[in-house]
Amino acid sequence: MKLLIVEDQPKTGQYLRQGLTEAGFNTELVADGTTGQQLALSGDYALLILDVMLPGRDGWQILQAVRGAGLDTPVLFLTARDAVEDRVHGLELGADDYLVKPFAFSELLARVRSLLRRGSATPQETSLQLADLRLDLIRRRVERNGQRIDLTAKEFALLEMLLRRQGEVLPKSLIASQVWDMNFDSDTNVIEVAIRRLRLKIDDDFPNKLIHTVRGMGYVLEERPA
Amino acid sequence: MRRLSLSNRLALLFAACTAVVSLFAGVLFSRASEAHFVELDQQLLDDKLIGLRRALDDIQAGDAEARLADELSRQADLSLRIISSDGQRMYDSSPSVPKDLPRKRGLSTVSDDGTDYRVLNAPLFLDKPDSPQLTLLLDITHHQHFLQRMQHLIWLTVGLSALATALLGAWAARSGLRPLLRMSAVASGVSAQSLNARLPEADMPPELAEMAHSFNAMLGRLDDSFQRLSAFSADIAHELRTPLSNLLTHTQVTLTRPRPLEDYREALHSNLEELQWMAQLVNDMLYLAKADHGLLMPKREPLDLAEEADVLLEFFAPLAEDARVKLSRDGHASMQGDRSMLRRALSNLLDNALRFTPAGGEVRVKIVEKPAGLSLTVENSGEGISEDLVPRLFDRFYRADPARREGSSEHAGLGLAITQSIIRAHGGQIRCESAQGWTRFIIELPRKD
Repeated sequence: MKLLIVEDQPKTGQYLRQGLTEAGFNTELVADGTTGQQLALSGDYALLILDVMLPGRDGWQILQAVRGAGLDTPVLFLTARDAVEDRVHGLELGADDYLVKPFAFSELLARVRSLLRRGSATPQETSLQLADLRLDLIRRRVERNGQRIDLTAKEFALLEMLLRRQGEVLPKSLIASQVWDMNFDSDTNVIEVAIRRLRLKIDDDFPNKLIHTVRGMGYVLEERPA
Repeated sequence: MRRLSLSNRLALLFAACTAVVSLFAGVLFSRASEAHFVELDQQLLDDKLIGLRRALDDIQAGDAEARLADELSRQADLSLRIISSDGQRMYDSSPSVPKDLPRKRGLSTVSDDGTDYRVLNAPLFLDKPDSPQLTLLLDITHHQHFLQRMQHLIWLTVGLSALATALLGAWAARSGLRPLLRMSAVASGVSAQSLNARLPEADMPPELAEMAHSFNAMLGRLDDSFQRLSAFSADIAHELRTPLSNLLTHTQVTLTRPRPLEDYREALHSNLEELQWMAQLVNDMLYLAKADHGLLMPKREPLDLAEEADVLLEFFAPLAEDARVKLSRDGHASMQGDRSMLRRALSNLLDNALRFTPAGGEVRVKIVEKPAGLSLTVENSGEGISEDLVPRLFDRFYRADPARREGSSEHAGLGLAITQSIIRAHGGQIRCESAQGWTRFIIELPRKD
């Protein structure tokens, strides 16, 4: 899985590469638009992360060239410009997603994983499982260690998301967007409360905890050695 | 071409008016005096005609010429011509009588060789159709001179009075327009440093009072916006200073000597929290800046407000249950608007309401459809907000609870300002009322079809 980052600000580029590499991606970083476009057109990459303002050719131009060459590589834009026209412009040109600076790395990582998953067809699952936690998608039932657990509809949706993306750190904003369709920055602590209540039902009565808080970044569902 | 100044324009208009009026009066006067002269001449000539007829009647021959000369000598400026019925000139009293004279009966005026005559034609014998014709000529040159002098006088008066009114008018206009000059002096003195200058409205003439009032109101609004803007910049610096100084201090202290790994991790986590708070603040401020520049462009999608409210209430349900606050929604309405933006606006209101509702309290959303639009009220039970704080609620960085005043709390105090911007971008208004244990945020949205 090879990712291309085209970002002219050295610090941002370095940190992005380090973060994505450590998250298990094979990452290449270039700082100018011209080289970026050459590499992007090679078709070797699973995802392009483009800054809009670049020396040489800007992000839009690279995107146009890539789409013009018939490549459907997913493209994620990073932009410091938060103008509506920019978004419309980018999406019209065929960008798949965009993030406005300043953004959280956990948010970027979650979006990157979403985009990469989008391409691959997921088999129709009937149930999701982690350790002794089982979620039956058809009967909409949750069991842990054989015990039936009653969840509200939103709690079920939240757990389903955590299970589908187990091992990934999910930022609060992504959870709000995916589970409640709240697509805006909000400083409310609803998500914290919702997670706490889910924990109460899923984890509290069991010795090995599955829902973990990653401080300052979000939540992750995974089995950790005791 | 330079436009004429207002006072010059008025002065010229005054002058033109005076000229027209005095010209009219002058023409009228000269016409009247001319008519008067004609009347006098007619009377005189009629009298003479009677005398001459009598003189010519008495004597049919002999000393006729002498009698005629005698009769005529009593009036030096009078001459006589007699023409026979077949058109022959029979008699001229003086050689200076012009050759060609009008033949028509009655009075006419003739000018010959620098002399003006009033001419009266009449038959000698009234009862004979072939009677010789008498033509009386009265020299009226001195009359005409008088009339001409008068005309000159009239033109002079017209010119002089126009000039005088132009000068007086200029002076009058200038002093009449002095309040305007004062106004422009104040206007030109207005700058970012002196937005507190105002026009004395009471001293203004009624015509200008309205304008002065508008001008002052404009200055007031400008001053207010400017104050807010300055305060906003100061607030931004202030809000960022606390987390920045935390970051600096914490990082420097951490780095002063070697520490266990756990301490570094803790320091980074702490920094991360400050940074996230700052990022949220910057994003919120950018959003508000966009709103200020009119760049918030709400989409227009059909929305069922009841449905939207329910979705939000479901979102806040865990929080409300934890706080033992009852959430409810009442009423329906549909509208055109931007779903995401309105959700954000309502979410800020609900979040706010939940924070200030005591355990066991209630938060209600009421939607009312009205002919002119709709209203949506978010109300919560609780202590309420004191009257004098209500107008400040929508100010940026304003926090009602003093405990959270300084930075580092999770709320930057921009939520209500953002809500207001979103509602305004939809053409609506939001206000707050607090009374009898309930605090209400009332959104009024116009109907747009």
